[in-house]
Amino acid sequence: MNARILEADVGVVGAGPGGMAAARRLAAAGLQVVVLDEGQRAGGQIFRQLPVGASGHDRIAEPPSHEHGHRLIEHFERAGMDRRHGASVWDARPGRLWFEQGGESWLLRCQKIVLAPGAYDRVVPFPGWTLPGVMTAGALQVMVRGFGVVPGRRALVVGSGPLLLPTVASLVSAGVQVVAALEASSRWRALRALPAVIGNGARRREALWYAKKLLLAGVRLRWGWTVFGCEGDGRVQRAVIGKVDRAGRPRRDTARAIDVDVVGAGFGLVPSVELGLHLGCASRHDAARGGHHLVVDDAQRTSVAGVFAAGEICGIGGAEVAMAEGELAAAAVLHELRGAPIDAALRRAVAAERRAADAMLAAFAPMPGLHELASPDTIVCRCEDVTAQRARAAAALHGSSLRAVKMGCRAGMGPCQARICGPSLQAIANARPDEVMDRPIVQVPLKVVRSETIVDAPRD
Amino acid sequence: MSGRIEGLGERPVVTITFGGRQLAAFEGDTVAMALWADAQVALRQSSRNGAPRGVFCNMGICYECLVIVDGVTVRGCTTLVRDGMVVERGGKP
Repeated sequence: MNARILEADVGVVGAGPGGMAAARRLAAAGLQVVVLDEGQRAGGQIFRQLPVGASGHDRIAEPPSHEHGHRLIEHFERAGMDRRHGASVWDARPGRLWFEQGGESWLLRCQKIVLAPGAYDRVVPFPGWTLPGVMTAGALQVMVRGFGVVPGRRALVVGSGPLLLPTVASLVSAGVQVVAALEASSRWRALRALPAVIGNGARRREALWYAKKLLLAGVRLRWGWTVFGCEGDGRVQRAVIGKVDRAGRPRRDTARAIDVDVVGAGFGLVPSVELGLHLGCASRHDAARGGHHLVVDDAQRTSVAGVFAAGEICGIGGAEVAMAEGELAAAAVLHELRGAPIDAALRRAVAAERRAADAMLAAFAPMPGLHELASPDTIVCRCEDVTAQRARAAAALHGSSLRAVKMGCRAGMGPCQARICGPSLQAIANARPDEVMDRPIVQVPLKVVRSETIVDAPRD
Repeated sequence: MSGRIEGLGERPVVTITFGGRQLAAFEGDTVAMALWADAQVALRQSSRNGAPRGVFCNMGICYECLVIVDGVTVRGCTTLVRDGMVVERGGKP
């Protein structure tokens, strides 16, 4: 009834670094581009902008690399294209993207699709992680850098990987006391990342910027520590922290309690592959790159004709990788639509950025022992309130595949569709020592939308 | 406990109602962030034991911040405030 149909040469999903880089290049070449982004403003999670009317990002933590990002946002917003924010893509097939925007049902018909949906935080379940005030590291970043809201008075930051530093920096800028910043990886394991940081001018500057920021705030990053649990009446008030061994297993004898009113947890990122898997794109599992990610060729082509991918969906790599891959994906689209040659320098840039990112992330690959943080009655699936114990019982009864565990106890069958529990569900259900999970199971609608959106959707 | 970072420019003020109580927010805020700035951290009750849940991913992934706006269940972190908006705690996702 209220169906609306758009036509374009290219549909780009995501307005983070990868999507912006691809869309800008495509628009500059004269193609008709529609960008679908779930956020309210361009930038994605990494280059989050404050709402329209607010200003003063310089008051909030802005590392040197973000200048690059803000230049890209400016170019992207000046380029002639149809940018649609607040748009959730809930169904797709090659050449077609169905989305909901402002409660309306839309269909985008396009010749090529570029997927750049980004990533989200990996959080390992621990006792008390469902208390209000315990959230992902990314959630804290959005709060401070996206809205200028103060998360609390006393914060605990836990997890693993390079994103802990920006989280601490944002909290410090917001005037929050960071009581503890805990990296689960050991100092020695992290040393493997050092050559990748020192050997790259931009990453070196970035690391020094964060080191100075933490030093001035008096925050010391503790290696080989994590959170054992959180407690509180109606919201988090205390956290128990302690040391972990090299596999991430908690050393209970080291536990101690601290008073906090907000906790940010981020054990790396998970590629947002759902849309790609639904389109039928081939994927592969690589723990250091965040788990399942799409496989692309040397021009960002997925296994499905007309579908390209850039950034975290091809494996976690960070903003610089995403921008390079976005440029290359655009060049490949222009090659297919216009016969334009693909500049070899773009391929070299992608390869170089990927090498640097892989070297860094190898030091922070997921630690299987962290799954021992969950006690039997810890909720694993937050949507359906399924405990670790019930997930284990389901696996014992029905089998250890992701599908069997889901069917057996409803874990992962709520509205988030296992985006939050999926990466750790099998490990916890079977106490499996490895980190190789089954491919996520995806189904339409990929995002929760109004039933009218589905009923009114134009079928072609 | 919470509040706003000072000096980030002026945005028009809107009024929303949460659980029968009026509070001020800024245009461009999401419901979840307006409530957090007002120290409202419990946004829904879990389905089984009624335990409070609040902002978790803040980017539209986890559906923990479900609230009811004008009778429709929505994600608090992806829904922008509107002047006069009536918001209630969400329940089972």
